[in-house]
Amino acid sequence: MKRFLTTKGLIGIVLLLIIAAVAIIGPMVIPPDAATAMDMTARRAPPSMRHLFGTDQLGRDMMFRVILGARTSLEIAVSAVVMSIALGLPLGLISGYFGGFVDNVLMRLVDTLLAFPALLLALTISAVLGPNIQNTIIAIGVAFTPYLARIIRGEALRVAQMPYVEAARASGTTDGMIMIRHVLPNILPAVIVQGTISLAFAILAEAGLSFLGLGTQPPAASWGLMIQASRDQLDIAPWTAVVPGLAVALTVLGLNMFGDVLRDILDPRSK
Amino acid sequence: MTYVLNRLLSVILTLFLITLVTFAVTNILPGDVAMMIMGTQSNPEALEGLRESLGLNDPLLMQYGHWVWGMFTGEWGNSLIFKKPIAELLLQKAVASGIIVVMSMVIALALAVPLGVWAAVHRDKWQDTVSSSASLLGVSLPDFFWGIVMILVFARWLGWFPSSGFVEPSEDPLGTLQRAFLPSLALGLGLMAHLTRMTRSTMTGILSQEFIRVARAKGLAERTVIWRYALANAIGPVITIAGLQIGYLFGSIIVMESLFGYTGMGWLTYQALLNRDLPLIQSTVFVIAAVVMVTNLLVDLLYVVIDPRIRLG
Amino acid sequence: MKDIVSVDHLRVEFATDGGTVVGVQDVSFTIAPGETLCVVGESGSGKSVTSLSLMRLVEFGGGTITQGALNFTRADGSTLDVAAASAQVMGQVRGNEIGMIFQEPMTALNPVFTIERQLTDGLMLHKGLSQSEATERALDLLKSVRIPEPEQRLKQYPHELSGGMRQRVVIAMAMACEPKLLIADEPTTALDVTIQAEILALINRLKRENGMAVLFITHDMAVVAQMADRVVVMYQGRIVETGPVAQIFENPREDYTKALLAAVPKLGEMKGKAAPERMRLIGDEAARAAQAPRKPRTAKVLLEVKNLTTRFPVKGGILRRTMAQVHAVEDVSFTINVGETLALVGESGCGKSSCGRSILRLIEPTSGEILINGNDIRALNRPDLRRARADMQMVFQDPFASLNPYRRLRAQVAEPLQNFNLASGADLEARVLDLFDRVRLPRDFMNRFPHELSGGQRQRVAIARALALNPKLIVADEAVSALDVSVQAQVLNLMMELQEDLGLSYLFISHDMAVVERVAHQVGVMYLGRIVEIGPRAAIFDNPSHPYTRSLLSAVPIADPATRRFEGDMNFKPISSPIFPLGHQPAKSQYTQVAPGHFVLQG
Repeated sequence: MKRFLTTKGLIGIVLLLIIAAVAIIGPMVIPPDAATAMDMTARRAPPSMRHLFGTDQLGRDMMFRVILGARTSLEIAVSAVVMSIALGLPLGLISGYFGGFVDNVLMRLVDTLLAFPALLLALTISAVLGPNIQNTIIAIGVAFTPYLARIIRGEALRVAQMPYVEAARASGTTDGMIMIRHVLPNILPAVIVQGTISLAFAILAEAGLSFLGLGTQPPAASWGLMIQASRDQLDIAPWTAVVPGLAVALTVLGLNMFGDVLRDILDPRSK
Repeated sequence: MTYVLNRLLSVILTLFLITLVTFAVTNILPGDVAMMIMGTQSNPEALEGLRESLGLNDPLLMQYGHWVWGMFTGEWGNSLIFKKPIAELLLQKAVASGIIVVMSMVIALALAVPLGVWAAVHRDKWQDTVSSSASLLGVSLPDFFWGIVMILVFARWLGWFPSSGFVEPSEDPLGTLQRAFLPSLALGLGLMAHLTRMTRSTMTGILSQEFIRVARAKGLAERTVIWRYALANAIGPVITIAGLQIGYLFGSIIVMESLFGYTGMGWLTYQALLNRDLPLIQSTVFVIAAVVMVTNLLVDLLYVVIDPRIRLG
Repeated sequence: MKDIVSVDHLRVEFATDGGTVVGVQDVSFTIAPGETLCVVGESGSGKSVTSLSLMRLVEFGGGTITQGALNFTRADGSTLDVAAASAQVMGQVRGNEIGMIFQEPMTALNPVFTIERQLTDGLMLHKGLSQSEATERALDLLKSVRIPEPEQRLKQYPHELSGGMRQRVVIAMAMACEPKLLIADEPTTALDVTIQAEILALINRLKRENGMAVLFITHDMAVVAQMADRVVVMYQGRIVETGPVAQIFENPREDYTKALLAAVPKLGEMKGKAAPERMRLIGDEAARAAQAPRKPRTAKVLLEVKNLTTRFPVKGGILRRTMAQVHAVEDVSFTINVGETLALVGESGCGKSSCGRSILRLIEPTSGEILINGNDIRALNRPDLRRARADMQMVFQDPFASLNPYRRLRAQVAEPLQNFNLASGADLEARVLDLFDRVRLPRDFMNRFPHELSGGQRQRVAIARALALNPKLIVADEAVSALDVSVQAQVLNLMMELQEDLGLSYLFISHDMAVVERVAHQVGVMYLGRIVEIGPRAAIFDNPSHPYTRSLLSAVPIADPATRRFEGDMNFKPISSPIFPLGHQPAKSQYTQVAPGHFVLQG
């Protein structure tokens, strides 16, 4: 695994590890009501020793809320991406491997779906289903599926034309086995890279949805919700926007850096 | 010519599929539309009345047929919240959105192309690191965060631009541009970051091709090689990639217009979604998808004009 | 007269992630005016690095000249050390005093500029010509490289020209400013043999007419024999041997040169021999001694192909309707006997590969019969076809793409056996071991992944995989074309050995006439989807009767400097397109028998 530990890769991994640790361990170790406790004496308090990241309009501690928000954001993003891979992988694999009529129909549908901006699709689905965490996952998962299907289909098409696939077919390997033994392992790197990048987009999408009030609903903590709440108090309490904004930025940055490095290593075409 | 004709046929087919998807997303998903509109606490008679007036008691296929026929004949119906004909509303808001979409694309391209070329030419040097880091940071920040920063800095603190609203260009053209500038800049920065990365990788690929080596072997100056030979080949792919971002932009304007209170299509869509205005949701979703598709088509046709391989092939 | 180039102890280094890699070291040679110096070597020998250094283009690929001088005698007689020259001076030298042509004509021209623009910009830059003067000169250049309809070509874009034509344009570009030195870096490697002959003849003529020196980089000893005045043999970044071409070929001093020459099949050297013969490789004497005397042929037919036709649809339009058809294989018939090799030769696009794939039904033939041991392959349903394919296996061209990069070699060789439940457990292991022994690969390679092997080793694994089902026929599609010549010879010998031991039949698909002469019992020459001539090897090579076969044979470079073929201009008929409108009914293939078993296409 050469070139993995470039500066960029290292920063990406460290960032992701920290954020993952915060999201997983954080909610377990902070006091149970720390994120909801309202300190009415210190509403919109700037960062201080008492409240490291300051407090919001209700006097809730921003640090604890960001930690809780990390869990919400990551939970939604990971579930949504897993869902879109679960839908897009079989779709793309079958379309790309078999080609022909199935491919024409499926890809015509995917092309149509791609005309809908992902955020619009997610917002609409979320609005129709009723905004909550579960429906946010479904909304983002469905909205991302055509992108993944498209990429996976392209990869499957490329691999299906490789001589080793033809050789396997010539030596009596069935289509199912060819897909499992030969096509899947060879498209997996691309799926992993795309999955990582999709995670970054999913974090942004969740923040966007929640920001518009069509994602995570209060009182749950979410970075997007926190930024939304900060809108009316920008002048007097800018930290209420900066803290969750930075949290989103660092997470997405970590994912993008990690994704870039993964692509350099895993993508056969970049060699 | 056959190419254009084929693409046109394909457009009609896709438009039809778009109506299907729009309808499916807004109707077939579980959930009572009437209840969604009026809320769970509303009384049964009122609900039933609404169902009847929206044709919700008809079979789905009929509802769909009715809707598509309406879209086709220009009978787009009335918005429930604005109590106005939807077609009129959309036409009015389209101009506002058109302005910021074009403006942000121009800002993004004007910055991304030179930056991407610069990074590709100095691949793996400090220039590349600077450009890559900046664009990584750019794609990593949600664009509404940029929007908030801009409101804070340029509107509140510096007071250079109005922080919100929209005025008709016919009333105050300068005011229109002033109000469109901040949301466009916020959208453009995120887009720029993405396009810079794409320009860089396109240029890197082109610079490793044989004809670049041939151009150097001819003794051409390095700037001619890069800014004429290489860039002429990069323009097509970069425009295509930029065109594909139109979809992303039309998603982002929903957030950005709402943030800036800029009353365009994005804002309208958001109002429709927030107030569960089903007829308006269907129309805006359909129109945005159609606009995205048509723009992509235009970009494809533009590529045909730019690239001789397709033009004559 | 002063040497035009004098390279003295050149050393080039590349900075990579894994540290500094030395590209070439201690490379010294000279080129006299009007002389052709060939630098020959296998991949990784540093021959291209040497030529790129002379243009100072090596730095664009990440290389640095760390030692040595590259003295170049300029037009005014002064000497310039290229290694130390400024970017500005190099701008005057490149394209003006030194011209260069490259390997890939398909990508060597800028796709979005016209030919005119690409031909004239160098002229305007170096010679200060006006646009109209430059265009006039460009026209002359196109004429001098014998491009038909030159006026029209000027307005065209590169994709409208064939590969051979593009290479002529690249040569015209390199010749534009009448350089004193032309560097040709594998200029014909990507080209078909007839086009190669034309380009080699063209370079020779331009060299004579302009009195320029040529630095010719190639991997092909036969091309060296045809082109060189003097030869530099390189291996792993160093010079092995230098000398006049006759001396190198007749009296090589170094073992490496001897081995290289022994591995090159020489067209015509099989004259008077009845059966294929393995190559006499240096260090492979044991294998040669073990070559059993040929068993008399039984002439039992294994594969019979009758009127095979394969067409591909050219789709277009929104409904993806078929607009036209590629007639890839058109009314082809032949037989292959048990234990024999039929070679299908032809240039790219002639349908030889499609023919091989059609026989295994990896692509579906349009019509015709394929009988293996009397069993009609085209009549089989999918499960039966799957079983029938066990008798016919395939070896592909690209050793890097023919193995799944993510599976261990053991699993890849065992897969065919598992598919048919032929072996499992210890038995399977034993069978796989045996297959590795068969192709002479160390047994511990079983646990490796493809990227840990060289190209030749991978091709052996591909052969082992093909052998797993004990097939009767192996379709070898350009199976040795991507390999270095010494490795190619070893793999060819292995294939011939397997044929003798196992009684295998081969359908040997190749573009290389010299290789075909070595391995084939029967030869079929393909052109535009049809077999234009087919018969016993000796008949095809000694008495080629179809005009296309004759031109093909006359275009093959011979690895013997005593027989030079490319002194005069050569012009072959360009190959026309195999795409026809729907419903086009081509005539049936009718053959004349000119000798027993030797058939020539009529018309």
